[in-house]
Amino acid sequence: MSVDPFNAFLHGEPRAGGDVTTVAVKDVIDVAGMPTTGASKVLHRVPERDADCVARLRESGAAIVGKLNTHEFAFGALTNSPHFGPALNPWNRAHSCGGSSGGSGAAVAAGLCDAALGTDTAGSIRIPAAFCGVSGIRPSWSLVSNRGVVPVAPNLDTVGPLARTAEECCRLLEVMAGKPLPSREGDLKIGAVTFLFERADPGVAAACDTAVAELGPTDEVTIPLHEEIATITQLIMLPEAMEEHLPWMQTKLELYGADVRARLLAGLLLPPTAHATGLRAREWVRGEWERALGGYDLLVAPAMPTTAPRLDLVPDDFRLTLMPYNSPAALLGLPVAVVPCGLVDGLPVGLAITGRRGEDGTVLAAARSLQERTDWHELRPPTPVDAAA
Amino acid sequence: MGQESSHAPSPEQLRADAAARGVHPTDEDLEAVLGFLTRILPALEDIEERLPEDTPA
Repeated sequence: MSVDPFNAFLHGEPRAGGDVTTVAVKDVIDVAGMPTTGASKVLHRVPERDADCVARLRESGAAIVGKLNTHEFAFGALTNSPHFGPALNPWNRAHSCGGSSGGSGAAVAAGLCDAALGTDTAGSIRIPAAFCGVSGIRPSWSLVSNRGVVPVAPNLDTVGPLARTAEECCRLLEVMAGKPLPSREGDLKIGAVTFLFERADPGVAAACDTAVAELGPTDEVTIPLHEEIATITQLIMLPEAMEEHLPWMQTKLELYGADVRARLLAGLLLPPTAHATGLRAREWVRGEWERALGGYDLLVAPAMPTTAPRLDLVPDDFRLTLMPYNSPAALLGLPVAVVPCGLVDGLPVGLAITGRRGEDGTVLAAARSLQERTDWHELRPPTPVDAAA
Repeated sequence: MGQESSHAPSPEQLRADAAARGVHPTDEDLEAVLGFLTRILPALEDIEERLPEDTPA
């Protein structure tokens, strides 16, 4: 029997490295016969059928080996469910693995499975991929079916893979999408988002600078309305999450963890015009984005401004500091690959590569190209784990 | 952002609004939500003022 010293698995058992690709699944995604809880005390269902994305992976020959820890209902950035305990970072168990798909990042980093599924509403694949030193992609919005996935905010929700390499992510995403993901040919125009480098810790920015140099020439660019984008994303996300949870809020409010309860109540108590304003403001951002950045094939930036925080020293403003890194692609439905690009004080750093909506193949081709020329994705955490098939 | 809204709701108003939707938060819950609303409401007002009128819905 294999071990899981990182509290990554909620159900099933770790298995990796055999003849068949093993995939573990974030516990907001239905797997037939396994409970879906969202790491909550509110939900416990045992679905009879797989989520669409799981069914497609199973049909392709993958083995589904278990369900993975998550921030409660995928609605937070830490994976510290008060009900199931935190998932721990394989690089240093005193540190967070990020979230909400934290079990997915930890399981892949520790070699507990060959690949994992996560969801990303506003950063939930990208944060754990960066903090755990694995590859992952938030796909273009609507590329992969969300049927059978517990929603956070339907206008923003995506489901995508995390794996050791961008190549493996591409293979899995093509299966989940049910179609090939072509990449744009020829020289690509790449913009480096300057203010995201400037706001990052110096060591993180330096590691990302080194990786960007491997991708080729870049222009320095900024994101229009970047101060407003985080707020606009919240105006859409919070009311939509509240609507999804309202029946449970009316009957089981006390069963939610305090942070998720506060976010759901915020969605309830925002002015009734907030959601409509958010959707209109998204079109405002889309227009400004197209004017400023429409000529760029790819944008690059640190995936996160820091390495993984210690679990007992998470800053009060942790979510706020991540929002400028996560919100633009979430709001506009853009694909973002995160790939490892080094270590700072023994903890992983991730580079984010963002593309145009629908050009997931181009994003992943750039990530693959980087991994063909570098070996950051070969780095492994120090804790050995026996998860052999 | 950063400027306090002149229209920050009172805890009593928040409790009544929640109850109207069948939700009954604790005092502690309302304190957490009020902290959040105090930050986001001025930003919402600012966006509503600056949003170009011809922006599609």
